[in-house]
Amino acid sequence: MQEQLKKLEEEFNQDCCSISSEEDIQELKVKYLGRKSLLSSLFSQIPNLSNEEKGLWGMNLNKFKLRIASIIEEKARKLKAKDSDFDLTFPSAKVDTGSVHVLSSVNQAICSIFEGLGFVTLEGKEIEDEWHNFTALNFPDDHPSRDSFDTFYLDIQQDKDKGKSLLRCHTSPSQIRIMQQYKPPMAVISPGRVYRPDEVDATHSFMFHQIEGFAVSQNISFADLKGVLLRFAQEFFSPDVNLRFRPHFFPFTEPSAEVDLSCIICGQKKEKEKKCSICKDKGWLEILGCGMIHPNVLSACGIDPKKYKGFAFGMGVERIAMLKYRINDIRLFYENDVRFLNQF
Amino acid sequence: MRFGLNFLKEFLQLECTASELARALTIAGMEVEGLEKVPGDWIFDIEVTTNRYDWLSIVGIAREASAVTGSKLTIKLPEERKKIFLKQKKIIIQDKSDCPYYTGRLIEGVSIGEPSQEIKDKILNCRINSINDAVDITNYCMLKWGNPLHVFDNDKVKGNIYIRRAIRGEKFLGLDDKERILDEKNLVIADEEKVIALAGIMGAKNTEVDQNTKSIFLEAAVFSPLAVRASRRSAGLDTESSYRFERRVSPRNLEFASLEAADLIVKKAGGVYKGMASAGSAPYNRSISIPLNINELNDYLGSQIPAARIKKIITSLGCQVKEGKAGNLIVKTPLERFDLEIKEDIYEEVARIYGFDNIKAKIPCLAGYFEADLLKDKRRSLYCLKDQMRRFFSLYNFKEIITYSMQSKEELEKLKEKDIISIVNPLRSQENALRASLLSGMLQCQRYNLNRNKETFPFFELADIYRRKARGYIEETVLSLGLAGDIADFLFLKRAVEASLKEFGINDYKIQQQEAEALNPGLVISAQDFSLGFLGRVNKDICNSFDIKQDFFFAQLNLEAYIKLRADKNYAAFSPYPEISRDISIIIGRQIKFKDIEKIIRQKGSYLTDLQVVDFYKGKDIAQGCQAFTLRLFYQSQDKTLNSEEVDSCHNGIRLALSQLQGVSLR
Repeated sequence: MQEQLKKLEEEFNQDCCSISSEEDIQELKVKYLGRKSLLSSLFSQIPNLSNEEKGLWGMNLNKFKLRIASIIEEKARKLKAKDSDFDLTFPSAKVDTGSVHVLSSVNQAICSIFEGLGFVTLEGKEIEDEWHNFTALNFPDDHPSRDSFDTFYLDIQQDKDKGKSLLRCHTSPSQIRIMQQYKPPMAVISPGRVYRPDEVDATHSFMFHQIEGFAVSQNISFADLKGVLLRFAQEFFSPDVNLRFRPHFFPFTEPSAEVDLSCIICGQKKEKEKKCSICKDKGWLEILGCGMIHPNVLSACGIDPKKYKGFAFGMGVERIAMLKYRINDIRLFYENDVRFLNQF
Repeated sequence: MRFGLNFLKEFLQLECTASELARALTIAGMEVEGLEKVPGDWIFDIEVTTNRYDWLSIVGIAREASAVTGSKLTIKLPEERKKIFLKQKKIIIQDKSDCPYYTGRLIEGVSIGEPSQEIKDKILNCRINSINDAVDITNYCMLKWGNPLHVFDNDKVKGNIYIRRAIRGEKFLGLDDKERILDEKNLVIADEEKVIALAGIMGAKNTEVDQNTKSIFLEAAVFSPLAVRASRRSAGLDTESSYRFERRVSPRNLEFASLEAADLIVKKAGGVYKGMASAGSAPYNRSISIPLNINELNDYLGSQIPAARIKKIITSLGCQVKEGKAGNLIVKTPLERFDLEIKEDIYEEVARIYGFDNIKAKIPCLAGYFEADLLKDKRRSLYCLKDQMRRFFSLYNFKEIITYSMQSKEELEKLKEKDIISIVNPLRSQENALRASLLSGMLQCQRYNLNRNKETFPFFELADIYRRKARGYIEETVLSLGLAGDIADFLFLKRAVEASLKEFGINDYKIQQQEAEALNPGLVISAQDFSLGFLGRVNKDICNSFDIKQDFFFAQLNLEAYIKLRADKNYAAFSPYPEISRDISIIIGRQIKFKDIEKIIRQKGSYLTDLQVVDFYKGKDIAQGCQAFTLRLFYQSQDKTLNSEEVDSCHNGIRLALSQLQGVSLR
């Protein structure tokens, strides 16, 4: 027994010198402390010894076991410590990932908020006709109010009685088509591309995105419109923002309002030295147009204005994205420079 | 419109400061865009919306200011002491729909001089130039009442006054010293010999009132808004006068403007008033009665405005209210307000004066709406698919781009696009047509990034494309993928496309080689007669013409087809038993395509579950046109662990079949 134990100890010491990894430690544990190990076979010889030798060798074997266990622990700890010699301050590898365009994610975020309130998202088509783009929306023929809504006309022919073909200049025609197709009550949000012949500069583009929303029922009111928009603003920008509704004029709503957002940059607190670059110290930023749907528009879609009422609103996605992310030039959205796309 | 506060104070006893007035007007809907202090006055600059022509006059603004601030409004109406009929001049109107009502007052024996300082200041503060006392008075009255007036030097007017359409070719030298050739689009004022004014827009130089004028003919009229609009657009003009006529002028205020102007001219320039001639009759000179109900009003607005307050607001705007039972009212609108026609117009007036911000916001319960039909709408499945596609490709490492829908027709033709829709009134020739594929946008984006940055990226775009048809047009939604430069790898693109098909449960599709005009080589993917999309390398010539010297791979997928063919994912049990792989190194000759040997392999491989090309060999010892590669074949059984013999037998069977093919050799 004594010789066997000595031999085991020598073997153990030798094995300990060649430990370099976690696996080596595991192997060591199995070899010396495991069920099928040499040590446990020594333990199993104890019953064959004389009584006095039983006690002595039992004790010696246990001492030995404890000693190699603690040596193995020590070795394991030293190994771990070596691992943490690794310098963690090295920069991480550059990883390029795919991404969604910022306008798409803003669009999606806005639509989600309204869907949460009960709206259904439906997109319309970009090629439209005069009837859906102007006439049904209560724009009188050849009226100055059409001037601020100049449009691109196309050289294709549709239904003769629906007027000339054009690229829609706002998403409102979708509203008309959906109201023609479905009976109230309904609540719909309709995002999409729109086109206006505007000279391109830092804040204007001939192509941009709008989101239109409307709801029609027997009980809708102006107060409901305010509530829905306030909820949107507080969920999209921050719970601390406020909205201000200013009377305005659109041919397709009555009453009509322009909606201002309390400036998210300066929080409406005026600093003595610097003017807020975004709201120019006015404290408010215009973000939406809205109103109660004009009864002529409801009639044009075959909905009885004596029975039903509705509200409608529209917002420019680029403008909202530029406010939220402090993007200062609208052209960045369409240049698609990777250095821009990477930021969102 | 610009005006000075002093002008407004002719009608208004203002109790608050200029800034307080500006704020109150803005909150109620008349947006004060600018407020400036000048010596002796405050200048307001307001936005006048197209429905409120009455804000183009001081009297209209004063009424609004009184309604929003509660300041006292005093309107002193000019009175005609004695109506004198002017017999010498006849007024002949060619078409009553062009000009329903025309009046002219004659003042003889005037002496034209400098205007009074008060009138000069008031019109200068409205940004109207001062000319002489008579002309300034007409502008002063126009600004005050809203009706444009015009004075002619009566000695230069030969005979009667005609309001007619110009004859094509008639010449007109305006007060702006520009000569114009007129046609039937222009409505003119003429005498027996010549055109003396572009009706409602500008007078002619030939009858200009200056310091030598002794006799004045003062015009006040109503012209058709459409006629004035067409005429001024054709002449390339836009004046204070035409601006007002286009938005409709008040026939009632016309009398006041004309009377006051005649009065003031006599007082200032001397002379004797000889009387008025007229033709036609003042149109739409009736007010409307609108019935409404207070409870309905509060329902519409979602407010609880007390009845007394509602009546007060309505009367402060110049309306008359008759009260009935159960909250019913009859509102008689003032003659100046054409924009009040239906009860909703009254609701708006009440709401804005009461204050939009005073109506408490409510959250409606919209989710209770029965919208199952809306959920079934095809547009909804397109929206959902677009969302899922966007997420799929962005997770797959593509970056989304958004590019312009319009390009130049020339460029689109370079890309071999057909059936292009043109824009009739483009801003520039670079954007004069609608694109029939997303290739142009992808090319521009890749080129931009390759030039600017040292790297480019795999991009995708989700947008509509447009094509004309024999009858009408098509607008459809597609998704494009593009890879160019160093990272361009066709198999990567192909794998991405196939992964997207798998993602949406489309497994039964065919891929065929097809050279398209812009892509060669190219592949077309289809299933059940639907074209799912195409992919390939963009033609080198096209790339060069767009300054891209590197490889450029492009794909475009039809989302409508994906919607029709997509299926739900269903879990398929995978084998719990281990997979074993074996490699074969193969060389195929020029005449063999990979799909030919793939067919054989799959036929022979009973336990075969997958095959992958793990390596392309590009050593010098491979003959020209041949492809050398290592193919890894994976074997697995659903019911047991395969042993070496079973795998070998299967694998060798495949090796044998391959080696028997012409043009295939195994290394």
